[in-house]
Amino acid sequence: MADRRRINGPVGATTPPIFDKPAGPAAAKTRDAIRKIFLKTGITPSASGSAYLELENPNPQRPGNTSLKLSCTVHGPRSLPRSAPFSPHIILTTHVKYAPFATRQRRGYLRDSSERDLGVHLETALRGAIIADRWPKSGVDIISQKDDEGWDMMNVLSGCITVASAAIADAGIDCVDTVAGGVAALVCKDDKTAPTIVMDPVVAEHDSILAACCVAYLPTRDEITNMWFKGRLPGADMMVYDKLMEKSLVACRCANRVIVQELNETVKKGQGIS
Amino acid sequence: MPLDTSTYNLALLRVDGRRWNELRQQKGQLGVQPSADGSAYLEMGNTKIQCIITGPNERDTKSTSSASTAPTSHGLGATVAVSIMIAPFATVDRKRRGRNDKRLQEMQTTIASGLAATVQGQSYGPRSTIHISLNVLSQDGSLLACLINAASLALVDAGVPMTDYLVACTAGSTSSYAAADEEADPLLDLNTQEEQELPFLTLATLGATDKVVAMVCESRVQLTRLEGMMATAADGCKGVRDFLDGVVRDKGELMVQEGAIGRGEVVSSMDLD
Amino acid sequence: MSSTSQHLLLSPAELAYLHGSLSLITPGPIRPDGRSPTQFRPLTAETGILPGTNGSARICFADGTEAVVGVKAEVEKTPVPPYEFVASTEGRKGHSSAPKKSSRKSKKTTTEDEEISMDVDEDDEEAAGVNEKARVSPDWVELSVEIPGLRDDDSGTVFLTSMLTEALLADGEFVKKLWINRRFHWKLYLDIILISPPLSYPLPLLSLTTHLALLATRLPRLKSEADEDPMFDDDWAAATFLYPRQDTTSAKASNKSPKQPSAAAAAAPASRPPITLLVMAVGDNIIFDPSKEELAVADSAVAVSVAEGPSSETEPESESIPATSTKRNLHLLSVRTIDPPSRLTPPGVPNSVNAAAWGTMTAATPTTTTAATAPANESGAAKHPDARVTETEDVVGVWKAPRGGAKFGMLGAMVAKVLERGGVAEEVLDGLEGVDLT
Repeated sequence: MADRRRINGPVGATTPPIFDKPAGPAAAKTRDAIRKIFLKTGITPSASGSAYLELENPNPQRPGNTSLKLSCTVHGPRSLPRSAPFSPHIILTTHVKYAPFATRQRRGYLRDSSERDLGVHLETALRGAIIADRWPKSGVDIISQKDDEGWDMMNVLSGCITVASAAIADAGIDCVDTVAGGVAALVCKDDKTAPTIVMDPVVAEHDSILAACCVAYLPTRDEITNMWFKGRLPGADMMVYDKLMEKSLVACRCANRVIVQELNETVKKGQGIS
Repeated sequence: MPLDTSTYNLALLRVDGRRWNELRQQKGQLGVQPSADGSAYLEMGNTKIQCIITGPNERDTKSTSSASTAPTSHGLGATVAVSIMIAPFATVDRKRRGRNDKRLQEMQTTIASGLAATVQGQSYGPRSTIHISLNVLSQDGSLLACLINAASLALVDAGVPMTDYLVACTAGSTSSYAAADEEADPLLDLNTQEEQELPFLTLATLGATDKVVAMVCESRVQLTRLEGMMATAADGCKGVRDFLDGVVRDKGELMVQEGAIGRGEVVSSMDLD
Repeated sequence: MSSTSQHLLLSPAELAYLHGSLSLITPGPIRPDGRSPTQFRPLTAETGILPGTNGSARICFADGTEAVVGVKAEVEKTPVPPYEFVASTEGRKGHSSAPKKSSRKSKKTTTEDEEISMDVDEDDEEAAGVNEKARVSPDWVELSVEIPGLRDDDSGTVFLTSMLTEALLADGEFVKKLWINRRFHWKLYLDIILISPPLSYPLPLLSLTTHLALLATRLPRLKSEADEDPMFDDDWAAATFLYPRQDTTSAKASNKSPKQPSAAAAAAPASRPPITLLVMAVGDNIIFDPSKEELAVADSAVAVSVAEGPSSETEPESESIPATSTKRNLHLLSVRTIDPPSRLTPPGVPNSVNAAAWGTMTAATPTTTTAATAPANESGAAKHPDARVTETEDVVGVWKAPRGGAKFGMLGAMVAKVLERGGVAEEVLDGLEGVDLT
């Protein structure tokens, strides 16, 4: 019987861990770039299309500050159940779900209202992109699962849009374009300095966010399928609002480039095999 | 707040100043909702109900789960579906009720079966449904009775044939069960305060007749008092019937005045008397 | 979206006609009910219908949709984080009790008094600083929406709820009104009930009713001081409005004398609850308050929330140009695109590909059937050039569900149209101001 009273050392020889110094404070994020995105399609073999997205973590050394990780699966198109009434279009159902371990406070498996709300936003964003009348009498379920913690709703939504778009393309569902999500926010350091507009805001980095805007954008058609703005703008003028929108469009374009690149790579890989 | 019943014997006046056989002030209105097939608004004291009728129309295959249904004419006529929604702000303390509240479902079933016995549903056929949705905006006692009266009024507005108005009223007793007072006087049309303290029952009758369609008594009361309470409630029902009839007649007068209908044709065919 | 408004049965030909008449440019859009593009449907409104609530309102649109809103307030204990309590007990004692009280008293006296007290309130807020901000929580407001025939966790209901909540909380000013003292606050419950079946998208109706109910909301007058357990005046007549009233004449007077910016700022209208308006675009036309039929052919639809606020301290530029400052100081709170139900409408079939109308597709029928039964990577459209044309290009008079999104400029124009001076939002606010608040 093994000795369980003590914690014994390892049997073989080991090398002591060498802790590298942290890289120092990350270089201040320039205001004209979004965080790096890692995107991969086809990660869930059982789904007809799937994608995984991870955002770069700007402050890796901070405890409890992890990056946004999203996975998305697309099921379908498949025929509707017999009981469903005829539909001339594809029936799109979207679900956004936080993994129970995604937030600091554990979430249950039941969907709460913020998840449903995000689901409606995602549906609006995708419905504009999908060519719905090519798939009569069929349904698609899109399930985005968020795997990590500490991000506000708009960043999550933009991530969901991007990852769902990649997953839909992976599933081979006809779209007018790959839709991508982007966020811009009007932030302010303190009461004295004038507020500035940043792309892809990291919530923890800013003291107060006055307004934020999340956009789903089709770059080649130059069209917006979903927009969500909230906050308080100084003054009644449209200038700040327009600038905020423009910035988030830039963020969308950046995200879209990632999607396109990933899809191209997938296609190349597929050709290489066949 | 406990109700002080001791003063009743001195002046024979209740907490809100009514005599034992007095109904609260009532207000009724027909056709308050232009988009509905029939609608009515009824106030009895501070209990305020709005009733909306949709249909009769084809039965929903995926029937809304929360409504209670009852078939008319032994399953050969239209189905009556009742759903009650109590606004969270209706009571003094805000209270949100789920749709699957058992007390609500019980009331729904009572109303549905009561109305199913009154509605001449065979003219619509078994595949049709009359959907009655009752919104309680303010609640101050005699809720079930009020709901039945409002539904009755709205069904008249919808033009659904009925044998008579289904009217309901509550009656209570002046002292609690524990007092073991065999001589207690009956009381008519209770408000929330009285309902919380005193035994009471809700009685629904067919119009001015003494035909009882539904009776609900959930509190403990001596058997000797029951008959007096029932008789009082039946009298109250007559009063309510007169009031509802007045509301309908006033509406009819108004329609004749406005020229919406001719005097002879509708009155004779509806046979209001 | 499709679940909150009942499905509409219009044929593709009707949809095409409606879309055509709404997207006319030269005489402007022709709406089925003859309204101008910015005109609202008539509505009847009343407030104070339920004496058992702190504030209530009922609005009935001309199409028969009707909503009731009741507001109830309860006193709730504010959880105080221990470290903050120690830090803030000294130096800020009773800072808020005196001015708060004066502002409440002032409603009974003249308007000048009120202006002064409002100034005091603002100073007070600044003095309170960061600590106060941290203490205010959006959880103090709870909003629920009840749509007949829908479960309350239906995504459509949730979307409406979060949109209305978002508008209310967007600028963070609203919850400050619910502050009693450092230990207690009001918890406000807004219960929104759609009485009628949802005939059209109920958002504007619910929003306007909520606006009115909040305007009519009164809270009992506070009698206790500082951080005592709150005691309230039993006299309902002495209760104070959540959104304080003011004499409209004084506001007009300040408009006429815009040379004194300070006076104008002081008499600027106090903040008002938000309203959410539904705007849709068909072609290049922007149309307000769309009916159900019009929404069925919308290219895009946007819900815009605006509120009228006091000319706030964050805006020094508004004082520098007092000549342009009008009666209302609108600011944008939130914008959301709404999935237009038009995307779910059945498309029409142009004659060129309709076999029944001797179209060219007769020969190619086998191809399309195989493509339809086995929708693989190559669809019928890819094989048959005619089918591709009909799928990608618009044929005049043939309805096709809109595809893609809205242009950037169009979305901007829709929001701008709401906010513009003398625009629709102002008109609606003016109309609601006319409602007698009892």
